[in-house]
Amino acid sequence: MNTLINMDPWSFLDDMLNNVGGNVFRSMRARAAGRFPPVNVFLDDNAMIVDIQLPGKTSKDVDLTLEAQAVVIADKPAAEDGKETAKTAPAWSRRIDLPFRVNAEKANAKFENGILRIELPKAEADGVRKIAIA
Amino acid sequence: MNEEKFVVPAATFTEKPDEYELKVQIPGVGKEDAELHIDGKTLTLKTHAKYQNPAGFREVASEFERTNYAISADLPEMADPKTLTAKLENGVLAVTVKKRPETQAKKIDIL
Repeated sequence: MNTLINMDPWSFLDDMLNNVGGNVFRSMRARAAGRFPPVNVFLDDNAMIVDIQLPGKTSKDVDLTLEAQAVVIADKPAAEDGKETAKTAPAWSRRIDLPFRVNAEKANAKFENGILRIELPKAEADGVRKIAIA
Repeated sequence: MNEEKFVVPAATFTEKPDEYELKVQIPGVGKEDAELHIDGKTLTLKTHAKYQNPAGFREVASEFERTNYAISADLPEMADPKTLTAKLENGVLAVTVKKRPETQAKKIDIL
């Protein structure tokens, strides 16, 4: 049987995976290779807790960024000769959306036995305000 | 009695000129929760999980759970079990054991 286009239907996917030099499939491949550290996320009314499994890592090896609507945990590429290798992309990163605004000053993170626990307390509520009708 | 479930942890084994090194990833396990035994040349590690979900919180994403680890390995013939040392740091257990002196690689000077 002749096919209209003589090609392996999946080859385009392989090409995409192999040839895209950018970051598009980096995370997918990282996950496939088991290099994507697993996270647990917990919530209560006043805080969010993120636990991430990073055996063998210390605070020097991880970049933690609190954005307006997300917390980003990323591998910090090893610095050579004491110089920051800013050009090296992190091997992995995880981004967890925040369900509320976080009080950045009270946020904290601590390593214990290879698990990083990040505590993100909710920012004070803006408050309900009654508006008088003139 | 509760039945305990054990998982084989990720491990790497490295041979160096004068010693062997076994590195085992056991995140969430502290020193007091790990038992390491040697019987003849068989090394056995058993851990009891300490990692706990924070009290009073509800779980919204769960990619790993509290895990008991167990692994057993025979030391190579050339290893000397008397020299075995173990160190648990940041959730990684490193076990090193020296090769018996008579089996260690020697550098030979070329005259």
